[in-house]
Amino acid sequence: MLQTQELQVNIGPQHPSTHGVFRMLVTVDGETVIDLKPVFGYLHRNHEQIAEANSYLQNMPYTDRLDYFNSMANNHAYAMAVERLAGIEVPERAEYIRVLMVELTRILNHASAVGFMINDMGAWQTPLAFGMREREKILDLFEMASGARLMCNYFRFGGVVRDLPPEFIPNLRELLRALPAYIDELERLLRDNEILLQRAIGIGILPPEVALSYGVSGPVLRGSGIPYDVRKAEPYSVYDRFDFDVPVGKVGDVYDRFLVRIEEMRQSKRIIEQVLEQLPDAKGGHINPKARQNVRPPVGDAYARIESPKGELGFYLVSDGSTRPYRYKVRAPSFINLTPLADMCRGYKVADIVVILGSIDIVMGEVDR
Amino acid sequence: MTASPFEIEIPRGRVIEVQRDDTRVRRGTGLLRGMAVIWKHWKESFKLNRSYSQIHGTFTIEYPEERPRIPEAYRNMPILLYDDETGHELCTSCFQCERICPPQVIHMTQAKDPATGKPVPAVAEFIIEYDACMSCGFCAEVCPFDAIKMDHEFELSTDDHLRLTVHKEQLLRPISYYAHIAPTMWAEVREGALKKLQGNIRRRPDVIGLAPQLTEKIAARRAELAAQAAQAAQAAAATPAPPAAPAAAAPAPAEGRKLTPEEKAAKLAAIRAANAAKKQQSGDGS
Amino acid sequence: MYDMLAALINGTLGWGWPEWALNLLSYILVVTIVLVVAPLQMLFFTYYERRVIARMQDRVGPNRVGPEGIWQPIADGVKMFTKEDIVPQAADRIVHFLAPCVVVAPTVLMFAVVPWGPGMVPVDLPTGLLFFFAISSISAVGLMMAGWASNNKFSLLGAMRAVAQMVSYEIPAVLSLIAIVIVVGSLSINDIIAYQTGLIVSNRDLPGIPDLGLGWFVFTPVGFVAFIAFFIAALAEGERTPFDIPEADSEIVAGYMTEYSGMKFGLFYLAQYVLNFLLCAITAIIFFGGWQGPGVGWLYAQGITPENPNGNGLFNVLAGVLGVFYFLLKTYLFFFVMVWLRGALPRLRIDQLMDFGWKFLIPLTLANLFSAALWVAFTRWGPAEGMLITVGWSPVLRWLAAFVVTLAINLGVYLWLTRVYAASQAERRRAELEELIAAGS
Repeated sequence: MLQTQELQVNIGPQHPSTHGVFRMLVTVDGETVIDLKPVFGYLHRNHEQIAEANSYLQNMPYTDRLDYFNSMANNHAYAMAVERLAGIEVPERAEYIRVLMVELTRILNHASAVGFMINDMGAWQTPLAFGMREREKILDLFEMASGARLMCNYFRFGGVVRDLPPEFIPNLRELLRALPAYIDELERLLRDNEILLQRAIGIGILPPEVALSYGVSGPVLRGSGIPYDVRKAEPYSVYDRFDFDVPVGKVGDVYDRFLVRIEEMRQSKRIIEQVLEQLPDAKGGHINPKARQNVRPPVGDAYARIESPKGELGFYLVSDGSTRPYRYKVRAPSFINLTPLADMCRGYKVADIVVILGSIDIVMGEVDR
Repeated sequence: MTASPFEIEIPRGRVIEVQRDDTRVRRGTGLLRGMAVIWKHWKESFKLNRSYSQIHGTFTIEYPEERPRIPEAYRNMPILLYDDETGHELCTSCFQCERICPPQVIHMTQAKDPATGKPVPAVAEFIIEYDACMSCGFCAEVCPFDAIKMDHEFELSTDDHLRLTVHKEQLLRPISYYAHIAPTMWAEVREGALKKLQGNIRRRPDVIGLAPQLTEKIAARRAELAAQAAQAAQAAAATPAPPAAPAAAAPAPAEGRKLTPEEKAAKLAAIRAANAAKKQQSGDGS
Repeated sequence: MYDMLAALINGTLGWGWPEWALNLLSYILVVTIVLVVAPLQMLFFTYYERRVIARMQDRVGPNRVGPEGIWQPIADGVKMFTKEDIVPQAADRIVHFLAPCVVVAPTVLMFAVVPWGPGMVPVDLPTGLLFFFAISSISAVGLMMAGWASNNKFSLLGAMRAVAQMVSYEIPAVLSLIAIVIVVGSLSINDIIAYQTGLIVSNRDLPGIPDLGLGWFVFTPVGFVAFIAFFIAALAEGERTPFDIPEADSEIVAGYMTEYSGMKFGLFYLAQYVLNFLLCAITAIIFFGGWQGPGVGWLYAQGITPENPNGNGLFNVLAGVLGVFYFLLKTYLFFFVMVWLRGALPRLRIDQLMDFGWKFLIPLTLANLFSAALWVAFTRWGPAEGMLITVGWSPVLRWLAAFVVTLAINLGVYLWLTRVYAASQAERRRAELEELIAAGS
């Protein structure tokens, strides 16, 4: 027998495909992964502690910086938590605008997540470039409405900061016309691609029991075959008024997660179309005029969760009756989805690690907080 | 939670299982189809595309030559506004923005009447640390006088770090500039802002509250106006003239001590208005 | 090339130089031309690739330096030259320094046998093809040196992958070329080009076909399968997507180049792009007739008169220019295909690459070898070789029979192999999964 030696390889924290500053301490035998230890904390910004020193409203722009791809979704979860804590009503129209923004966020996140995953597989940027093109269009819309592309800071307690500008809806309709073409093209480009199939099928399998025991959520959980979606399980906002399906995978491998994301983009488009139908009839303005931005919620605690594009995003707030949260905790989907990484990678090749990591779709800003 | 979490009730909509289709024997056709997609993109890329409904064609905006269209709501860095006509700054140093600013980058000192030592609704120095500003736009939102607004200028890169600590002189922009970059947003607040400004101008002695880059120009203009006023002595009752007159005669601070009766009345009215406003604010605030 | 020079100096200019001076001059000239052309091709290729792939992604690509960004590669070169040369402390300094040289030298040497146009080959070796592939495999040594000397895990992994890949893909590459060599009966690259005259069909196989320089091998079943197999193997040799595993930036940073900076890194880049150029060129030469094309042979023929059997100088020059144009056009077209593939496809994994090479490409090329032998038997063998079926057939019938038989064999083998390969892959996945489950529980 040949004597083989195990090799320890540090993938990251400075590595092209760790999606930020993430480090994986990989033990390899040749090219096969024997063990993997995720090391994070390189992007720790003391988010939760800072939040406890800020007033409730001041935290809103900080939530943008958690998962910087989906600032609208983060805003939504945080605004919901504070509204629950302080008992603020949200007008119907504001709810619709919120849903619209979060579903747009979901499309842009999945478009780039699929792109990044294929990029990690080695396609030289092309699917990512196509995803980024759609993302840029959506970001243009965000910029129109909120004034910023990434750090939108659009939501306020009791609504959103300003109503949709008049040119928003026509542009959105234009965008919706391009979206099916983009998704179909992505499928044509990748779905039957023999190389992608070889790289994705049977890779990084996460069995449903394991996924549940780790508390995984979002497309990763649905890829494992569990139809759990907060929008369906605990409908918040106005999600109970829309028809949409929940795509689930069969095996729980990279390919399933990829397909689930593509299908979710289609479902998000469906939701947006329904929002556009129902938005003109919605009552109320863009914000509850009685809502105070400088909130001083009564003593108590509240937890609000939404189905963010990456999974279940929750904010837990404890109020001591002052203008600042006494305790502020984020249930970050990226972080929790990352925990089964070692289980998913063991036994696969080095090249699979980055693909598996890409299929989880993490953002280090949210993992490290 | 039910015993088996696999069974989740899905109202409105169903659970769809993705089509994996992974048992079929493939013979390289998928690769060719993908290449056909890329070919189409290559072929179409010689056209320019600015439409949202198109997925083919070059999207690149050749930036320095071609500028992106910036929406009105765009926010980059905060700026201060001053009135074109009177040269007065809209800011009254109410400290609202300093208080709300999440990264605490706004600093200001209130102007004081050099004669009486009492605070004046104007700002003496206003500093924003652009390098730490997170462009959240809260300062513009909370400003009761619409004095602080978000700029559209985004080419701020510099090799001098200290230049990113921006002082009042560099922060000030005329209202006409803001009305140009954000016409509808300014139209919404225009009336109220100018009304509040008129109230504040009455409480500002001398050149306090004037945009620094305009102070000399306005002093000269006032002197001119005063000369005209002296020639046409019958025009003594005009409203904007009285506060201008003492400053115009000699812009020395010594003159600021003598308050004309009209000025006193105006000041009183302004204080009353300010108190009322404050009451309203504190009611809003809590 | 040398006789052209000799004719120019002694004949046209009438200087009457001695033999040795002519030799010296011509060697120096040729070497200079090759050494200048190689980096120029590399510079052009980097620019070309970036522009083309940008277009495929709805972008514009580099367009700032010079008109349409044409000086971008020069700017990059200046950047490379002025960068600091960093050698890691733990590196083996001498080997670390030598590795880029060992990688670059063979790629430049390979130019020696590449014919640019009619009569424009630096050295017309009778074993040119063998030389080409023998030399190209030397660079694997350089890659291993780079990976080892860098003393970096990523470098080592990259070098291992590179060597494994290059060694295993040389076999299908050479096997597919052997099919052509069997048909031509020569290892000389000039002979292979000369064979590809005619119109769709080589007029060596089928006398009487008008010579339009289109008798390319790619139009025959044998040549087509060999072309596909060779091009795939060339992608692997040249480390192009989907086989850019040795430098997979998303996995092992930059592979064996990780610890190189400055001009040493530039040399690796140079070697890679020059190799890509050469592989595209050799594909064009072997399967697409090199400089053959409509008009080249005709122009030559125009100059030939009874009193001037070597042809007229003007017509020769015209034919040469047209030949070089055809050659470069084909080469750049193949590079376009390489870029196109890079734009469209993800990358394989190293074990899948090995599977594909050993379990699919090699059987396919072996079957193609058999087809090539049948092709020769049908078109050229007579009763003397024991080929009795074709006795009395006209050349057209013989050619048609060869075409049909080889097409049937190659197509059948392809369909059968895809099925077998897919089944083996599925089986492997299942076995791996079982292993994983067994290891997990």
